[in-house]
Amino acid sequence: MLKFILRRILETIPVLLCVAAMTFFMCRLAPGGPFDEDKQVTAEVRELLNKQFNLDQPLHKQFIQYITHLPTLQSFKYPNRTVGEIISQKFPVSAKLGFFAMCIALGLGVLFGVIASLRPNTYIDYIPSSLAMIGICLPTFVMGPLLMLVFSLQLGWFPATGWGGFSGDQFFASDMVLPSVTLGFFYAAYISRLTRGGMLDILTQDYIRTAKAKGASGLRVILKHSLRGGLLPVISFMGPAVAGLIAGSFVIETIFAIPGLGQDFVKSAFNRDYTLVLGVVMFYATLIILLNLIVDILQVTLNPKLKFD
Amino acid sequence: MINRILTGGALVLLAGVLAGCGPGNKPVDQGTPNKVLNITVGTEPEDIDPHVVTGVPEHHIIVALTEGLVAEDPVDLHPVPGTAETWEVSEDGTVYTFHLRGNAKWTNGDPVTADDFVQSFKRILTPALASKYSYMLFVMKGAEDYSLGKLKDFSQVGARAIDERTLEITLNSPTPYFLSLLNHYTWFPVHIATVEKHGGMVKRGSGWTKPENFVSNGAFKLKSWKLGRKIVVEKNPDYWDAATTKLDEIHFYPIELETTQENAFRGGQLHNIYNLHIDKIATYKKEHPDELRIKPHLASYFYRFNTTRKPCDDVRVRKALAMSLDRGSITKNVTKGEQMPALFFTPPGVAGYTARARIEENVEKARQLLAEAGYPDGKGFPSLELLYNTTEGHRIIAEAIQQMWKKNLNINITLQNQEWKVYLDRQREMDYQISRAGWTGDYPDPNTFLDMWTSWSQQNQTGWARDDYDGLIRKAAATQDVEARLELFQQAEEILMDELPVLPIYIYTRVYALNPAVKNWHANVLDHHPWKHLDLEVKADE
Amino acid sequence: MPLLDVNDLTTYFHTRNGVVRAVDGVSFQLEKGETLGIVGESGSGKSVTCMSMLGLIPQPPGRIERGTAHFDGTDLLHCTRKELQSIRGRRVAMIFQDPMTSLNPYLRIEDQLIEPLLIHGLADKVSAKKQALAMLDAVGIQDAASRIRGYPHEFSGGMRQRVMIAMALITKPDVLIADEPTTALDVTVQAQILELIKKEQQELGTAVILITHDLGVVSGFCDRINVMYGGKIVESGPTKEIFYNPQHPYNRALQNSIPALQAKGKELYTIPGMPPDMSKPSAGCSFAPRCEHATDLCTSEPPELQDIGQAHTTACLRVQRENLKP
Repeated sequence: MLKFILRRILETIPVLLCVAAMTFFMCRLAPGGPFDEDKQVTAEVRELLNKQFNLDQPLHKQFIQYITHLPTLQSFKYPNRTVGEIISQKFPVSAKLGFFAMCIALGLGVLFGVIASLRPNTYIDYIPSSLAMIGICLPTFVMGPLLMLVFSLQLGWFPATGWGGFSGDQFFASDMVLPSVTLGFFYAAYISRLTRGGMLDILTQDYIRTAKAKGASGLRVILKHSLRGGLLPVISFMGPAVAGLIAGSFVIETIFAIPGLGQDFVKSAFNRDYTLVLGVVMFYATLIILLNLIVDILQVTLNPKLKFD
Repeated sequence: MINRILTGGALVLLAGVLAGCGPGNKPVDQGTPNKVLNITVGTEPEDIDPHVVTGVPEHHIIVALTEGLVAEDPVDLHPVPGTAETWEVSEDGTVYTFHLRGNAKWTNGDPVTADDFVQSFKRILTPALASKYSYMLFVMKGAEDYSLGKLKDFSQVGARAIDERTLEITLNSPTPYFLSLLNHYTWFPVHIATVEKHGGMVKRGSGWTKPENFVSNGAFKLKSWKLGRKIVVEKNPDYWDAATTKLDEIHFYPIELETTQENAFRGGQLHNIYNLHIDKIATYKKEHPDELRIKPHLASYFYRFNTTRKPCDDVRVRKALAMSLDRGSITKNVTKGEQMPALFFTPPGVAGYTARARIEENVEKARQLLAEAGYPDGKGFPSLELLYNTTEGHRIIAEAIQQMWKKNLNINITLQNQEWKVYLDRQREMDYQISRAGWTGDYPDPNTFLDMWTSWSQQNQTGWARDDYDGLIRKAAATQDVEARLELFQQAEEILMDELPVLPIYIYTRVYALNPAVKNWHANVLDHHPWKHLDLEVKADE
Repeated sequence: MPLLDVNDLTTYFHTRNGVVRAVDGVSFQLEKGETLGIVGESGSGKSVTCMSMLGLIPQPPGRIERGTAHFDGTDLLHCTRKELQSIRGRRVAMIFQDPMTSLNPYLRIEDQLIEPLLIHGLADKVSAKKQALAMLDAVGIQDAASRIRGYPHEFSGGMRQRVMIAMALITKPDVLIADEPTTALDVTVQAQILELIKKEQQELGTAVILITHDLGVVSGFCDRINVMYGGKIVESGPTKEIFYNPQHPYNRALQNSIPALQAKGKELYTIPGMPPDMSKPSAGCSFAPRCEHATDLCTSEPPELQDIGQAHTTACLRVQRENLKP
């Protein structure tokens, strides 16, 4: 396994370089610059501004400076903060949001998927499957405000916006529930369908009959014999799911006023904040590659027919 | 067994929900009796350094923390003493002498001196800083030359510290609105020693404005700034007018999305909604009339014509387009915010100026003009593209106008929406035919609107210029007599409405909501609400 | 008191295309240590009979309509789930036809072997592992100690079946039901597996029900044979009787069909017609349409198993009443 991981890391480096180059140059190709705004300024002022931020240097020099000094670069939109500062302050929030969403997604998804698979084509199957369909079809920017309307504004069970309670530092706070549920529900729906499919596939296998013939209880059949195989499609899904969570967090963070990195991911492109864009893109690229590596390792450990090669 | 799973699952869910339950103490419920104001001003500010920012959210926070020579009267914003206790104006109106008060202090105890102001002016005018707003100081003698690097010696610029507490400012010409101008944050002082300690005078984002470093002289001081979460300012007990300050703290939340603002407001987390969505106006009128505020705003919504490109190079076409609109219908049915349909460019009611000039909304005449221009009944009319930055509000207005032109003039235009930066770029490069635009006045005087269309203004971007127009604006800047000056502006506006390099559509209103517990909040066209006067009152029955 | 007493076991499958009467009133008994063979074509109901007894039929669409199956005092068809689970794998074990799919590919052999012991609380993990190793060795897996930690896909078909047998017998059950254990294996391996089952049976005294369609297999192995056709038992008796004194046309026809016993070069004998459609019950004997001895009696009256002496029963009306010699 160590060799596998090392090889993966080596393969990752050219990928990341490619991503960095593409991001850097595509940003520059887009019309508009970081300092443009509706109050126009003279060409001289624009030049001087560019000079302060080294934008007058030849592009390849800028590129090298960016990739070697990325965390210490000033953001163009918020010059008081470096890229590293912004990411290190905002990412933990997004990470927590994503983590809770994933817990909900896996928890609800696997639970309902298993239940549905045990009694296929009955009401016990139809109800979670219908809910799952709703979850997949309803976009987050509809579900979020809907949940907020019912559970926060009308019932008053949860705060409408914010993250981490009033001080912002609480580890578990009631304002984390609605955003996590909104983000996680789509994935819960998807995972429940994958689980149901995977489990149904497994439950009709001969070796399940063997397990029952050995006297295994229903719970044992599910937990020990079925889940490992039945969840394989779910594990494979986790790779793209994480990417989706990262992308989806932007909408959630905007709706619920959550100070996460998702907002910066999108807004930095609109702001032509070249440094922050590169920083956030590289950060997420590395994250996704890392998580996909973990997913691949998980898949090999769970499926004895696969090997590290 | 499946029953066991179902019950188990249900119990886990319930536990999770209960654990998470609890709206907690709502910030507004807590804040109101404790004099803590929870407010949003839209986006997160880029910085609180008054010499490098240009935006409105930044303004709101900066004026809480920093004070200039004068301050704003809370009711009508006329200049009242700020850091300067008294001042005199010379006969010819070009020399102002300010006497700073003795108890004006920085938050670190240093006294605020006249030299602080001089050095601050120097900073914002220093070319290397590349301030985008330095032009606000160009009324000062030598300021523009210094900013262009033509003048190297700052002592030649019209700002002089006569002694520790006496500041003399010399202007290029008598500028009747100069004192109002001083209320703009570009004229505010910064604590020089702190700026120099952290990277120097011209380094942007040097970190001198971070809470642990920031030194200021306003009614509030910076307590904390959590990125993306909130900025907290607290009452500055050493402020010379601390007796007036009633609030203990203000928490500024950066929330951009209008619906999120509203949800936070309804959920008891905010004392205000900064921008109320158009579609909610009717509901609030009916259900929350005590919270709803619709107030005129010193801002103009218009379209720019590129007068160097067909077909808008022809003034008859421009007039036809302008006269064939029903602005009343737009403000009533599309924007719904009680905006004033604009038949002239400059918003009325500031400095005693209301434009005489009028566009006539007359479809017949418009059709005639179009025919004269060579496109009878729209035949042969070349392709025309309307550029706007991607926002729902601009789109519906553009679509309404597109329809009006189709119906009244029988011409087809295409709509093109672009991302903000692309849109700005195209406008500046004059790569457009018609472009949506807006402009908020920097200070309460018609000059801030009318000088946009001079040949030297960066804001022009229409390719239109007229010597007589330039002359009127220049003369107005040098005229001391109020009446005469306003008359010059009237004439300028008449030329503007006759030539129509721009197509005025409406005068903005600010549509927002405010918790009735907020007191001493006075509506005005600049939408400035000096923080030191605000108060929070718990309702009698709470 | 027989170890296993099945009476009128009836299992129907309620499908969209009709009700399939897979097992239609089957009754038989099994004594301690006895080897019973159940023979029949595909679809005759032999597997479903045994799986119904252990509750391994998917209950929608299958349904045990009626019947009892008393095992040592407990009616397997009418006991609680817990009781059934405590008997399954512990006192009545079953091995299945396809060893390639009957083992869990995601679990190690060791884990699957010790499972019956752990489920039924017969040993702790350490001792169970020891027993598993001994069992694996006993069923003839070479180098058992190093292979026991492997996964099923590392074993061949024959080896997997040995593992299945080890797994079934590790709890020393009273009954082993072997559902076509050799059908999916090579001929050479077949003999080995049967030898193994026989050996273990002799050592442990287990009763065995051997389900197969291969007459050759049961001839050398079983004490008694049930011949099934169309969901019913049509003939039952000691092995010798069944082979040397067939008392049912179907049994006779089956034996005639054994390729090895036919003249070389001549056309092979096959039973004319097709196996019956189990969703369309016939009025009389279900074999009548294919029987060369069929008469009007056969198509009108449903036959019942009747004792004709020597512990031999048959369900042919003509044999019962007219002394037909098939």
